Amino acid sequence: MSSQASYGDAESLFRAAYDDLVRAAYALLGNHADTEDAAQNSFHKLMLAWARIGGLPTAGEQRAYLTRIMINEALQILRLPHRKWERIGVAAGEQGVHQEPLDESEQAREDLRLVWKAIGKMPATRREVVILHAAGYEYEEIAARLGISESTVRSHISNARQQLSSWRGVTGRGRGNE
Amino acid sequence: MSNGISAGGPEDVLDWLYQRGRQRSGMVPEFDVERTISRARAARDAGAVDFWSVLSPTERRAFEAAADRRTFPAGTALMREGTPAREVMVIVDGWTKVCVQDAGRDRIIAERGPGDLVGEGGTTPGNVRSASVIALGTVHALVMTTADYAAFVGEHPGVPDLVEKQTYDRRTDQG
Repeated sequence: MSSQASYGDAESLFRAAYDDLVRAAYALLGNHADTEDAAQNSFHKLMLAWARIGGLPTAGEQRAYLTRIMINEALQILRLPHRKWERIGVAAGEQGVHQEPLDESEQAREDLRLVWKAIGKMPATRREVVILHAAGYEYEEIAARLGISESTVRSHISNARQQLSSWRGVTGRGRGNE
Repeated sequence: MSNGISAGGPEDVLDWLYQRGRQRSGMVPEFDVERTISRARAARDAGAVDFWSVLSPTERRAFEAAADRRTFPAGTALMREGTPAREVMVIVDGWTKVCVQDAGRDRIIAERGPGDLVGEGGTTPGNVRSASVIALGTVHALVMTTADYAAFVGEHPGVPDLVEKQTYDRRTDQG
């Protein structure tokens, strides 16, 4: 994909990357509404940053930038104490809002949020590698999406694993620990 | 059925996340790129986030002086899709949902809360609202006509940056 000429406008880039982006976001977020939200926010950010992204020389670099936008949008949603869509549903008694159940218990979700917070504090590339790995991508796929080498991915994962191992106790014990 | 990570804890959180991600990526429902793009555009037109926090205390006082403070009961519209855009608003407190009509039904595309400027997309003359903004609970907002807003922006050098940037972004999207 890096041999392709660069995209001339935000919409063409977004359309080309869309299926891959929503697949990754859904793997992270696990429900339709949050995924749609992350995709919308990503397109919004892409438009705002187009002056910079449009100037990147290759399609691969542009897609990598958009992938990073999406990853960080998904992470923001993951770190919310209460998912936005649940709050809207409760506040408005809204009909027609997706109320898909999240597949973890409330306790597990709170634990997970702490893990996402820890991941959020990692240096940018490591954070992005870890999040794509959490979206179910193999090292090779992560390398292609971020435009980095497979060995870089491998070393980031290994460092992240070490970094997160100190969180195992916290996530095992549960709520309230930083 | 997953027990999550609190039930005894897996050997490795990262592996657990990876397995879950793989599982989920095999069951991704359908998403519509057209819908995502049109909602993102409508959400952008409906408001800019963090407007109030970028204003200086002087600018805030000037904004308050030029605006009307209005209360919107839960369920009422601050602005409605398809109507002429004559006002901008800053939400003082309470939350709103931004909706567009989609197959005869309201679909939520964003939410806006305290500090958010809504309706700034309507400051271009002749613009029509591209989305509705509905109060979720009681909402207090500072309401200003687009003419007063243009004057306010003209008088306060700190504000034009934000607005010009948005105008610039809009222009470059189309080009």
